[in-house]
Amino acid sequence: MLNLKMCANRLLPSRLCFSLMFFWGNLVVFAEGFQVEVGDKFVTSPSKNDLLAGIPFLSNVKLQEGDFFKLTDGEAKKHYGSRTFALNNEKDWVVTFSRLKIARLDEVRVFSWNGDQRAQQDYDLAYSMDAGKTFLPLAKEIRALQNGACNLTRVQCRADGVTDLRLTFRNPGDRENPPNTLHSSILEIDALGVPLLPLTFAEAKKAGRDNSVLLQKAESIKDQEGRSNGLSPKPKLAEFAAEIEPALQKTCLQCHGPDKQKGKFRIDTLDPDLLHGEDVAWWLEVQDVISNGEMPPDDADQLLGDEDRTRIVDWLASEIQTASQLRRSESGHSSFRRMTRYEYNYALQDLLALPNDFAADLPPETTSEDGFKNSSEMLQMTAMQFEQYREIARKALDLAAVDESERKPIYFGVSMEDLSRHRWDEQEQKLEKLRKAHKDNPIELNKQLERHLPKEDFVRKRAHFWNRVDGRRIGSQWQRTSWQGKFSIPPRREPPAIPENFTVVANLPVKQTLTVDLWDVLPDTGVIRVRALLSRSTPENQSPPIVSLLFGHVVSNNSFASEKVGSGQEILSVPSAPQFYEWTFPLSEVVRNPFRKVENLKGPNPAEYIRFQNTSSTKEEITLHYVEVTTPFHEQWPPDSHRKIFPAFTDGDKSVGDAREIILNFMEKAWRRPVSTKEVDRKLAIFSEFRKAEISFKNAIIETLATVLSSSNFLYLAQSDKPREGNPAENNRGFGLATRLSVFLWSSLPDKELMDLAAQGELDDSKTLVTQAKRMLADPKAERLIRHFVRQWLGMELLDYLEVDEKAYPKFDPTLKEDMSKEPIAFFREVLGANRSVLDFLHSDYAMINERLANHYGISGVYGTKLRKVSLEPSQNRGGLLSQAGLLAMNSDGKDSHPLKRGIWLLERMLNDPPPPPPPAVPEIDLADPEILKLSLKERMEDHRNDPACRSCHAKIDPWGIAFENFDATGAWRSEIGKEPVDASSLLYNKQELNGMDGLKRFLLENRQDQFARSLTHKMAAYALGRPLTFADRVQVNRVAGELRTAGDGLADLVFLIVQSDLFRKL
Amino acid sequence: MNQKISSLDRRKFLRGTGLALALPWLESFSGSLSAAPSATDSIRRLACFYMPDGVPMPRVDDPAYTDWSWFPHGKGKDFTLTKCLDPLNPLKEDLTVFSGLSHPAVRKVHGHSNADQFLTGADTGNRGGYQNSISLDQAFAAQVGDRTRHSSLVMSTDGGTGSPRGAQTMSFNRKGRHMPAEHKPKRIFDMLFVKSGKDAAHRLALSQSALDDLLEDAKSLSRSLSHHDQNRLEEYLQSVRDTERNVEKAKKWLDIPLPQVDVSHLNLDITPEEPRTYLQTMYELIFLAFKTDSTRVATYQIGRENGVGASDYMARAVGFNLTHQLSHETKKPGGWENFGTYCNFLSTELARFANKLKNTEEIGGDGNMLDNTALLFGSASSAFHLSRNYPMLLLGGRKMGFQHGQFLKYGEGNEQNQSTADISTDAGWKGAMDYTELPLSNLYLTLLHKLGVETDSFGGSTETLSEV
Repeated sequence: MLNLKMCANRLLPSRLCFSLMFFWGNLVVFAEGFQVEVGDKFVTSPSKNDLLAGIPFLSNVKLQEGDFFKLTDGEAKKHYGSRTFALNNEKDWVVTFSRLKIARLDEVRVFSWNGDQRAQQDYDLAYSMDAGKTFLPLAKEIRALQNGACNLTRVQCRADGVTDLRLTFRNPGDRENPPNTLHSSILEIDALGVPLLPLTFAEAKKAGRDNSVLLQKAESIKDQEGRSNGLSPKPKLAEFAAEIEPALQKTCLQCHGPDKQKGKFRIDTLDPDLLHGEDVAWWLEVQDVISNGEMPPDDADQLLGDEDRTRIVDWLASEIQTASQLRRSESGHSSFRRMTRYEYNYALQDLLALPNDFAADLPPETTSEDGFKNSSEMLQMTAMQFEQYREIARKALDLAAVDESERKPIYFGVSMEDLSRHRWDEQEQKLEKLRKAHKDNPIELNKQLERHLPKEDFVRKRAHFWNRVDGRRIGSQWQRTSWQGKFSIPPRREPPAIPENFTVVANLPVKQTLTVDLWDVLPDTGVIRVRALLSRSTPENQSPPIVSLLFGHVVSNNSFASEKVGSGQEILSVPSAPQFYEWTFPLSEVVRNPFRKVENLKGPNPAEYIRFQNTSSTKEEITLHYVEVTTPFHEQWPPDSHRKIFPAFTDGDKSVGDAREIILNFMEKAWRRPVSTKEVDRKLAIFSEFRKAEISFKNAIIETLATVLSSSNFLYLAQSDKPREGNPAENNRGFGLATRLSVFLWSSLPDKELMDLAAQGELDDSKTLVTQAKRMLADPKAERLIRHFVRQWLGMELLDYLEVDEKAYPKFDPTLKEDMSKEPIAFFREVLGANRSVLDFLHSDYAMINERLANHYGISGVYGTKLRKVSLEPSQNRGGLLSQAGLLAMNSDGKDSHPLKRGIWLLERMLNDPPPPPPPAVPEIDLADPEILKLSLKERMEDHRNDPACRSCHAKIDPWGIAFENFDATGAWRSEIGKEPVDASSLLYNKQELNGMDGLKRFLLENRQDQFARSLTHKMAAYALGRPLTFADRVQVNRVAGELRTAGDGLADLVFLIVQSDLFRKL
Repeated sequence: MNQKISSLDRRKFLRGTGLALALPWLESFSGSLSAAPSATDSIRRLACFYMPDGVPMPRVDDPAYTDWSWFPHGKGKDFTLTKCLDPLNPLKEDLTVFSGLSHPAVRKVHGHSNADQFLTGADTGNRGGYQNSISLDQAFAAQVGDRTRHSSLVMSTDGGTGSPRGAQTMSFNRKGRHMPAEHKPKRIFDMLFVKSGKDAAHRLALSQSALDDLLEDAKSLSRSLSHHDQNRLEEYLQSVRDTERNVEKAKKWLDIPLPQVDVSHLNLDITPEEPRTYLQTMYELIFLAFKTDSTRVATYQIGRENGVGASDYMARAVGFNLTHQLSHETKKPGGWENFGTYCNFLSTELARFANKLKNTEEIGGDGNMLDNTALLFGSASSAFHLSRNYPMLLLGGRKMGFQHGQFLKYGEGNEQNQSTADISTDAGWKGAMDYTELPLSNLYLTLLHKLGVETDSFGGSTETLSEV
């Protein structure tokens, strides 16, 4: 209920009654709460159902500060006696209430006081149904009953769909007496009737779909495209001269013509030939502002009739489309570019079947204006970077290829019995000493024993070992001074057998750690696998505990180098049936002890350790039964990575013929196309040179393949569709398409199936493309699309850099931030996986959250760390992207919300309508001015907006941002800022109202579905192509957006439509 | 290039066809290709030294204050060096002592963790994630590194990189990564003056044919591209060509004979177990590297923090057992004096090195070497594990315009260096600061300017120090 919420937000409910003092009066009791008491007491209580409650009004009489609410909210106490409406004003007093949402108006009540026998009052009543453009009379010359008394006049009426209400008060005096300007007040105006209920989100969605132009015109876009094929298109200049130009001149010329050029824009000098002229960018602006109803402004003298508006928009749309197509056919466009850092990393990972992070040292990419990192213009190359590529390739290949000597792993089988042995022994020795010392004095002995044995509750609060047979417990303190591997469990050459019973276990309370010392025996590279047999202590607790693994070493007596590896794991297994939980990571990717394998060490401890930490948010304890470590860990021998290069295991010498085959195979995979004999010969020549330099077969192959991976043929993507010289058999088109597809959906190289289809010439077919895209989306590698597209589209790097003020938000922590950054990605995954409507990004009745996020959102009944689908109630104020905490937080300044950032973000990322950059000389808001300091944030923005230099941009941005005001800097819901209620209502440039997040979502769903569909299509196409889209792509984007709408807005459908589009297929 | 070598005017040293090519040199090469040396190039050098464990900081009312407080007494031009520094007295007009400087980011981090950021000014923190930034010497080497065979010489007594917050090197590259330090005199000598066999030549030759092939790949690809795309690929072609040029240059160095030096007076197998001779040998190697213009940038970390490793034996030079322990035992009878005696030893050797530079004619005969060489000496703790009021010394480099012969005190509220004095528990490093200090990087920025590096800021600097 919109009105009720407005009441709650903007009115202070406690002020529904007020009292006033008057000189005299009788007890007059009016209907429904208006009353005057005898004596000097005067009490009124406005109707509870007042539809005007909290609505500000405009008037032609200058009133004091605060008076705007006075007529509707009863807050008149401090101004009593001075609300004389006609204060020395001989004109009529006009009061207008706007932005009303009244479905049916039944009655208007005016409560007034004319404190002089000679005074008289009357008023006219008019209403509007079209946001104040036209007013219709409702009642005339309603006169107060009595002079010199309190009055209630009630006007029964009937009007539907009221948006504005106007009261014109007169103080006519009578025939004998002149108008009395001193003693006449209006105390309260109420309107009764049926409020207009806002649409539900579902209704708004439906209404918005009905409004869709894309849907209606999807067919005509196609038709026109068909028509224009082959013919040389001509601009429709005659139509312009006959219909469009006159309409534009009539409406726009006053502000954008020879006399005035508001916004430095003049319409009459634009070249109406969009096909060949140079004013296309301006015409696009014109189209936007006219079709969105932003121009002409509401207060313009000359408004634009619906017919003219439609005519202009249609003419522009058609000309823009023709022009865009013409540009596309005329200009070359390609997305030839270098791989991004992350694509390079995935490509190496896939090519070599290795999990390592290869791109860590490469310079970060610059982000394009669109927010994308894979944009062709931005991807540079320098000599330094080139050197890095060579170095990384060499290292990666070296990691991938193995020697027989690396075959045998070492194992650690660590039972808690073994791990705890020295702790019991130490304690036993201590006790033994005591027993000896006090053997003749049992009383003293007991005293001493009690003193020296740690208290059980002390031990239980810390990580400790527990003998489950005899019940003894002892702290597990790992002494960093117990250096030189004194307490490490020796590694074995054979896989250890898992013990059958676990008499001793280790218990880990929250935040506590247990360290397993692995001494100085781990290899430099290779994967290490850690398995731990774990269980939780209280399975009935709905929120499962979490164990994290750390790897590290002792640096000095005051510091450790410990780093978390992989992610924490939820422990679900119960004490009676512990289960193995597993972590694997490459040893070359973690910080290693620099002193390992150093002989004759005198000081530093060369040992490395793994450490289990209970990182639960609840208080639950975790039990560790057994730990097993294997390194180097191979799923098979020789490992996949080796086989990716060498067809069979090779340690010895091979022939040049073998080398040719190895190189050829690898080249075709890395370069994503067949290679010519000449190309292979050149690489083979390098190989031979290395061999001549007495470099082993394996190393010569590695060196040669490193040049394959440093070649422009590997590093650069989306080659042109032109056939390559000297290689006519090569089906370039298919292979180019295979690469584009795999880079789009997997951020990496095509797999064998794609390559085979390309080789057979079968890939370039709509059906095949969709089948392949489906297959690829089902592959785990599609996670890369989800992650990278979402992060780049939404600009989520901002969240990485966000620093939240700890004092203002003590509950905010890194875990919450991490979950916040996962939420949009999980949400996108859900929408994509189930092919849900892209409009779910604007609003959905579900969210993808875990326990921590649910707590942040005030949603109960969600347990655990995994993000899952949770149904939402409208009252929970969430759903869609706009109200997700991470996106709200990253557009704050860490201390408070930032409406400007949020507004710009919405325009740029969601609506693809970026505001122009601020002018060079922006006046700063002067916070030293005490008057400005008194203002609320919203008022300050309004003040800033009134500055003419700022107005045009801010009027476009601020209202969007203010609608987010119910969310604080961490994206949590708030209804008050300080002690003031949140004011999240705002008016768009064209006077459309946004009322808080709900209002914003409803507005977007009702009015901007097409814009959003087009925006998302544009963003995803730019990402898919790896280049900024231009005017020439406009028709294609519109077309895909239209098809998306026709297909029912499914996100997966959008992916399929893009890969089928000419945009994607025809370079 | 050839001209540079001939201007060495040390023909008697040049002999044979020695080949030496160190990888650190290649790594830093690409950045400054254009800065080719010329005859008019005036030589400027920088050497930085780090002592761990801080310095003696007795209270004014302590009898040891007069003799064993590390910071001099007096201020400005009017100051006297205590026994900690008095071996430097003959060089008083060639040096400046500083107080009131520290790196702001780690003022509340335990001193044991702070050797890492001594030359970088980075917020290397206490725990968790670790990120460092480029060190002072490498910022200078980026400018002059390509004029000599070795871009820089990185040395420490303990060697290698050490751990995050337990650095055993003072030098960090532009990405903030540790650059491993050499600690064996023999290896340093071989790197500088002994040919490295045919391997380097081989690698370069192979590298060259690989690059040729990559150019061929790219040219072939280019032919199938539109004009617009060819422009984009041009960046790649240029990168390969640049790299080829680097290799060309590297090959040139191979053809230039290594300088021959006489080291019959040195025992290159010396270890820190004989600390005084070891320290002297390390200084001598820097001297030889400078004298032959093999490099113009050197760092030497005399010891790592926290008293583990070989460097902790340095105090044996003056009859104590472990260096770090000296800083813990200042409250014992004679404690300040013992610790100060060790400082005196370090000053003696530093003075010996500086004097040698002062008494040696500059290459090309223009004045003495010390006037063209800035020696920076200091620690990231003053009092016990306290990372504030770093004890800092700058020696030499008169020709770069340093106004020496001063004790410059910065900051306010700690004029007598008493706020940091006499701390003896580990809790001291956490204490509140009721005085102010300036960022040490202000001195570093000043240094870089005098060394001829044009930059607006370094390591969080706020301004330059005009008095220096």
